[in-house]
Amino acid sequence: MKHFDSFPLRALVVLTLASVLVASAATAQPLPKHPNDLKYGELDFDIPRAEQYRHTLSNGSVAYVVEDKTLPLFTVGVRVRVGSFLEPADKVGLAALTGSMMRLGGAGDLDGGAFDERAAFLAANISSSIGTTSGRASVNCLSSQQAECLDLFFSMMREPAFDEVRLATEKTNRLERLKQRNDEASSIARREWQWLMYGKEHFSSRNVTGASLASITTSDLAEFHNSYWRPKSMIWTVSGDVDTQAVLKALDERLAGWTNEGAKDVPWPPPVPRNVPVPGVYVAQKEIPQGRVQIGSLTAQRKDWMAKDEMATDLMNEILGGGGFTSRITKRIRSDEGLAYSAGSQFGLSNYWAGQFAVFYQSKSETVAFAAEIAYEELERIRTSKVSDGELTTAKGAFRDSFPGNFESAASIAGLFAQDEYLGRPHEYWYTYQKRVDEVSADDILRAAKKYLKPEEMVFLVVGDWAEVEKGDADGRATMGQFFGGNANMLPERDPVTLEPVP
Amino acid sequence: MNRLTSARLLACVTLIGALCVPVMAADGASAQVPVKTFELDNGMKFLVVERPEMATVAAAWVAKVGSSDERPGITGLAHLFEHMMFKGTRTIGTTNADRDLEIIDEQEAVQEQVREVYAELRRAWRLGEIESPYDSENRPERLIELNKEFDKLVEEQRAIMIKDEFDQVYTEAGATFMNAFTSQDVTVYINTVPANKAELWFWMESDRLLNPVFREFYSERDVVYEERRLRTESTPTGKFNEMVTAMFWQSHPYSWPIVGWPSDLRVISKAQADQFFDTYYAPNNLTGVLVGKITVDEAKQLATRYFGRIPRGEIEPPDVVTLEMEQLAEKRMSGECDCPPQVEIRYHTVPFGHADSYALDVLSGVLNDRTGRLYKAMIEGAETASSARTRPDSGKWAGSFIFSAEAKGEATPPQLEAGWEAVLAELQKTPVGDQELRRVKNGFLADTFRSLENPFFVMIQLALFEGQGDWTYLNTIADRTEAVTAEDVLRVANKYFEPQSRVVAHYYREEGTSAEPVPPELAALPAAQQQQILGQLKQLTGMTDVAQLQAIVGQVEGQADQVPDEMKPAMQFMARKIKERIAELESSSDGEKN
Repeated sequence: MKHFDSFPLRALVVLTLASVLVASAATAQPLPKHPNDLKYGELDFDIPRAEQYRHTLSNGSVAYVVEDKTLPLFTVGVRVRVGSFLEPADKVGLAALTGSMMRLGGAGDLDGGAFDERAAFLAANISSSIGTTSGRASVNCLSSQQAECLDLFFSMMREPAFDEVRLATEKTNRLERLKQRNDEASSIARREWQWLMYGKEHFSSRNVTGASLASITTSDLAEFHNSYWRPKSMIWTVSGDVDTQAVLKALDERLAGWTNEGAKDVPWPPPVPRNVPVPGVYVAQKEIPQGRVQIGSLTAQRKDWMAKDEMATDLMNEILGGGGFTSRITKRIRSDEGLAYSAGSQFGLSNYWAGQFAVFYQSKSETVAFAAEIAYEELERIRTSKVSDGELTTAKGAFRDSFPGNFESAASIAGLFAQDEYLGRPHEYWYTYQKRVDEVSADDILRAAKKYLKPEEMVFLVVGDWAEVEKGDADGRATMGQFFGGNANMLPERDPVTLEPVP
Repeated sequence: MNRLTSARLLACVTLIGALCVPVMAADGASAQVPVKTFELDNGMKFLVVERPEMATVAAAWVAKVGSSDERPGITGLAHLFEHMMFKGTRTIGTTNADRDLEIIDEQEAVQEQVREVYAELRRAWRLGEIESPYDSENRPERLIELNKEFDKLVEEQRAIMIKDEFDQVYTEAGATFMNAFTSQDVTVYINTVPANKAELWFWMESDRLLNPVFREFYSERDVVYEERRLRTESTPTGKFNEMVTAMFWQSHPYSWPIVGWPSDLRVISKAQADQFFDTYYAPNNLTGVLVGKITVDEAKQLATRYFGRIPRGEIEPPDVVTLEMEQLAEKRMSGECDCPPQVEIRYHTVPFGHADSYALDVLSGVLNDRTGRLYKAMIEGAETASSARTRPDSGKWAGSFIFSAEAKGEATPPQLEAGWEAVLAELQKTPVGDQELRRVKNGFLADTFRSLENPFFVMIQLALFEGQGDWTYLNTIADRTEAVTAEDVLRVANKYFEPQSRVVAHYYREEGTSAEPVPPELAALPAAQQQQILGQLKQLTGMTDVAQLQAIVGQVEGQADQVPDEMKPAMQFMARKIKERIAELESSSDGEKN
């Protein structure tokens, strides 16, 4: 990685020669008739190796450091093994609120306002968050202010103040956001889909309510932080304008004396949902001119990152609905018929429990059923006949030749290898990625489609104006009566704050 | 190139709480992107940023055309056009280019008849004979026949079509982020290709400019209509935002939505698209932008070979000449939606690159974020807003400044408006402090570097600024912002924020679209009890006996001492609500006596 305007002389000489060659070629030959006739040189790219960047800090935790002096900026980030699965059932929202309040609530001697003032003056972007199965924090700052910025960042993580005033403000702001949970069709769809797939009991399906939010106190936040935000499970990333040895020393100095004493155990992996989705049509009523649709089911939990199914299912979904305009569902629902602006599919195996598959689109009420008919045809097609050579070549080319883009920035290199460490994904996954793409055959894809896509077991969720959606289109091409015998399960309207059904 | 690594510690200053922080230096230290430029004989310009360490080239071209170049009747065309540019060329997308073009002509003939039917339907609608000119359930027979005829031609065309080949060629080559976007001023086509396949970009992009074929025009028009339904008609404030914009711009073509009015989308024709292309997609109205592993010499060779084939346009694309009329009186709107109570206030300011735009940026910086004045005045510890922000929005031809905020608790849009006015009045009266100004500028300076971290984003910014009139903005914004003084901020605060030059929109939550918001005092109770209390409080409106109500207050207050702590706020809340009802009854009976 070089400075913008001062790459080494050797590179300059090589590039100049290359341009002379291009120049002489340019005048002679006619243009290729089709882009497939273009001839390309080899791409000058080597996959970065994790060990090149991997370091161990004095407390034993791992840090990936990737230098890049292009701009006078650097980023330090950390991943922590924590998540909402650790919060008590009557304090839903505690983990997420702890993550936010670490940043909002001040640290050390600084109250929330003073901390913000200092960070803003340093032009430091500092953040922290806790999700379902991981916590993150990072600082991005001018390299000239490295020491000050790191001091502030570590102060936030080691001695957050959880300022009372800030907590009160944040709680009232969040209460306002709870009131908005029925405003957007997408937010209703997200909530109902999660419940249909994983049930309401699993921790990842729990939602904050007005009551759970109100019950969270500063001492809850302090206790949660003190129990789980500890150095033992941390994985560090550093990228940008740093000197590797110096920055490792700077981290060590700031980690000194931060022990794991009194930390609670984190049971790992997180608990698994037990729900078995019940196939059928489910409707959440909302008076909008489009139906927002998701059709899908659970897939499986990932056992092995290197397994053939992993790549075969990714390629299968690319061809079915993941590859934009080169995929079947997008071509037919959007491009052929003009039924939707966005239409496609998602497929994922998941690390800690079963992943999901879903076809999604939004179409005007009257053509929801017609688009669904097309989606079901495509589900059937991909699990009963092999994909064509052309489709497979395109999908493989997309995966193989866009692969170097994963390593385009120092931040992405550090992040990707740190994520390997967090998930237990072998670095080998990247080193052999392109080879494994090449090894997938049309038979593998057919096998994967048969194994994971079961249309009769799928859940069909519509958020929209049911009276209009149900009728189908004026041309009589399709109606909702075609699906699940015309039976629809009407989902209750819910109070946005309590999420209890409205009587 | 100047780098901020030379930033010195100039001073140590005392802030609230005796906090001591360094001030970052700013003497000429700013981000600079080394852009190399060239122009082809046909007038097409190129901007190249060499990044030899990359494995890709981020590439774009910008057409200096947007929705402000449209007129009533063809609103939405610039954006629809952007979609059409992905439909292929004489080479890409068909196995039989000649027959393909014939079919397109035949399709046009059918669509011309469809437009005639629509003209008749609009006439019938004007005369009150039908409810709507475009009701799909009550279409005339003739229209159904024409649609069938058209569908047949589509089927025939599909047989010789290579579906979405344009995307397929790029995708298979490992290209990513193939996309495009349309604004009021510009249309930008973006892409990232592996560095060894840079020539593919030149081939594909020059081909779609030289030999475009707008096949599947009418199904794409339907896609755009779905896009409108998705973004505008199915979102809580989408249709209102459209109203506010239309109300804000009186004479300027920024008044219509980029996606277009629905009635125009129904009837826009391919012939209109062709004409639009000839005017605005000529090379003399285009600029290519390349950021990545390519040298300016390589870029120039390839550009000459490929884009050099395109002839210069016969006419120079016209400027937007309509100037916004001076606003003489305040405009107001009030609406109800599935949204929190909120307010938007919009002022007329200056176009992109105007000398005052930098001071307006700084003014906005003083107001925003948790260190800004809006947070301190309206959000933290205040019962007014859950969010509040400002945004300068300067287009190529004209600009505006927008304040928006969402209410908290019982607060109302008029209170949000009053909160904003108090903050604004202070800005108009007193110059911003040195520390405050320094903090905001420090943020701007660091952000100019951050905006260069991602090469793809550098490419987007160059394309956008070039489209707005001047790509060098990217390299001058830091210094121009640094030069802004407290007096400049005071001056623009007094110049552009006159009440008669603004639009004010109030939004209220639509009744019955969601259950009653739960007051924070009840938040600690189980959901069932919350609903029970709210239900009882609703009955209050039907109760008129003051004595009876006073007795209830006594009961509630008596119980309040005995209930567990977490229920006390709820009891106090109930008592307060009943007292409010009593006060209401008493004041209205006073009124009658007078």
